[in-house]
Amino acid sequence: MPNCYGDCTTCTSSHASIQEMYLQTKELGIETTFDRYRNQLPQCGFGTEGVCCQLCSHGPCRITPKAPRAICGATADTIAARNLLRLEAHGLSAYCHQLEEAIHTLKATAQGKTPYAIREEGKLREIAGLVGLDDSKEKNALALDLAEVLTHELRKGTEEPLALVELLAPKARLQKWSGLGIIPGGPLSELRDALTMAMSNINTDPVSLLLTAMRLSIATGYMGLVATITLQDIILGNPQIGKTRADLGVLDLETVNIVAHGHVPYVAVAVLQEIAGNETLLEKARKAGASGIKLYGSMDTGQELLQRLGTAGQGFGGQLGNWLTQELMVATGAVDLVMMDLNCSIPGMKLAADKFHTRLVSVSHVLRMEGVTDNLDYKPEKVKEQAVQLIEMAIEAYQNRGKVNPVHIPPHQSEVIAGVGVESLLNILGGSLNPLLEVIKSGQIKGIAAVVGCTNNRNGHDSASLTLIKELLKRDILVITAGCVSSGAQIEGLQTLEANSLAGDKLQSICTALGIPPVLNFGSCIDIGRIGIAVTAIANTLGVDTSDLPVAASAPEYLEQKAVADGIFAVAFGLLTHLGPVPPVAGAPLVTKILTCDAEDLTGGKVSVEQDMVKAADIIEAHIQAKREKLGI
Amino acid sequence: MKRIFVIKEKCTACLNCVVACQKSHAGSDFYAPIRDIEPGRIYIQAVGASPVPLVCMHCEEPACVKACITGAMRKDPDSGIVSNEFTPGKCVGCWMCVMACPYGVISPKAEHGKKMAIKCDLCMKRNGPACIESCPTGAIVYMEEAEFADYKQCLAAVNSI
Repeated sequence: MPNCYGDCTTCTSSHASIQEMYLQTKELGIETTFDRYRNQLPQCGFGTEGVCCQLCSHGPCRITPKAPRAICGATADTIAARNLLRLEAHGLSAYCHQLEEAIHTLKATAQGKTPYAIREEGKLREIAGLVGLDDSKEKNALALDLAEVLTHELRKGTEEPLALVELLAPKARLQKWSGLGIIPGGPLSELRDALTMAMSNINTDPVSLLLTAMRLSIATGYMGLVATITLQDIILGNPQIGKTRADLGVLDLETVNIVAHGHVPYVAVAVLQEIAGNETLLEKARKAGASGIKLYGSMDTGQELLQRLGTAGQGFGGQLGNWLTQELMVATGAVDLVMMDLNCSIPGMKLAADKFHTRLVSVSHVLRMEGVTDNLDYKPEKVKEQAVQLIEMAIEAYQNRGKVNPVHIPPHQSEVIAGVGVESLLNILGGSLNPLLEVIKSGQIKGIAAVVGCTNNRNGHDSASLTLIKELLKRDILVITAGCVSSGAQIEGLQTLEANSLAGDKLQSICTALGIPPVLNFGSCIDIGRIGIAVTAIANTLGVDTSDLPVAASAPEYLEQKAVADGIFAVAFGLLTHLGPVPPVAGAPLVTKILTCDAEDLTGGKVSVEQDMVKAADIIEAHIQAKREKLGI
Repeated sequence: MKRIFVIKEKCTACLNCVVACQKSHAGSDFYAPIRDIEPGRIYIQAVGASPVPLVCMHCEEPACVKACITGAMRKDPDSGIVSNEFTPGKCVGCWMCVMACPYGVISPKAEHGKKMAIKCDLCMKRNGPACIESCPTGAIVYMEEAEFADYKQCLAAVNSI
């Protein structure tokens, strides 16, 4: 992309397709995130460092050498810790919303009111048995019981420890967390208390605020992530290895094109079912001049589908991209309808859609966008009709394609091998984790790094995450991705067998032997929970704590509040957690010290904020090496 | 004369100075959204992640005055202030001053079809520049040249230890 002047990289992308589309938006006079970022520079240092407090009307207060305390007396540490907790609470809140929707969907499915089914009966019985239900019951009745239990878990008080934490967390973790007093109760009650604490002048102790942040993060990990994933698997199917394609080049000029954008896959699954089975709709599309109807993925909704290509994601048209791609996918002019759910649909997408025929539709009652009048809020009991309506709207929109501005589809696309989860990984390994552990012990795989989370153009679109992944591969470290990082890696062909050539000799030979890519796709950002399950399984098999393992986590381009909750969970879970950009705590010395240093004594995990991705890879490698030596391997 | 001096290492890009400048030049409507009022007359540009404040130097031989085709832009012999507001109605908005200024601190403004160049007037209708009062970190200061030289020496001495 053309760099106007200076040394900023905020209007650049690592992807050829996006560079091409950016030029197209310039030509059409469409302003995108890439342009608006430049307009926001320079950004205020107080906010960047987390030392601006806007809670009460005495403020805003900023911490400076002249004013080391806020008007109420709060220090930089109080302000930054409180701000961080508020960010995280927002993240957990959205996760709770997603879990509640999953519970509702499970219930309606068990009552036979949805187009979904109990696909993973084994998983249902396993989790039901674990939480103390009679797992010999008929599956639909059992699903209703499980929905009941999880609803209670979500709502119960803070003094009652979460069942899933006690049942699923490694023993050594539970001991540590119990010692710190951070085993959470029901997430909704935890949120109530955390937000109460974070009000002006209630909890002003930075250490207590950070411990509360850890507590919320554990609720995030086991309810927001693990419980939601488990229900989604039960309803939609476990991840299965499959192949698809990614990048804007997958858009088909000949078909009616619908994009599922966001995080929650239910409506998209119903749309895929209608595309596959509704002849009337297909006939309507043909009459409108199209050869068919396709549904593509954007962001995590797409990841949820492409992890299940053999089951709920059957018929998936391909993955278009991640957060930063949303305006540019609309600017191709080849997208007829975008169905938006939960978080990450930006007002900028409407600005782009206004230059085309593209219809934006909310399929989530929490999502509203100025100028968008079509709201088909997901109701499990009505989703089949909603899917038909969406497709009809898309066919209608399709007829105006190309009438406002021309269609321009960049030619780039890449193959993707997706669908890794605990079960499919075990399948590849022949039913046991041991082969993986053996190659880790022998050093064929030096360690595992989960490179997860969002995309962020502070350093240029996907540049930090792709640089870090490639550096880790060179060092024989197996990479697992989830979230928007996955889409970035897919577009650059990192989830293919060919990508093994980028890996160090040892990693290359083992991945080639197993027939797997060196970058394994665990799916959407919520699937970070799957990584937690896998790490727990490895730790339990070896009889050690998670913090002893040669593994690390990184969110090199974290963007929003759910990622804050995930990042703190990784620290609580005992992992080295590399974060970029630097979270808004740098102006608070004690908070910074606790997160980057002292946390290691408390949980075994800590934060690294190295922003040079080559050096970050060095830090992760050194950490993995140290853990190997401690384990004597 | 007293001028605005910049110590750019202290700037955190909070843009308080820009907001204060806009408000002080926008009359008394406290509740008007800042973006609707007028552009600021002090600028914070980003070079990478580093903010750089840009202010008018009220030059001894101002390039803007030399470039002005209507004689609107003047340097007041008494106060030393360089402004086109001593000569109401004369500025025609040709932007010669915008092009001539080596510091990039003059902006074009169009209001109700009337074009006019705007620049720092050191808040001459006010008791001292508003931007200085609003800076929380001391990144901009309002001093005599000699006073600033002395201040710089103090800072340099502190930094050398």
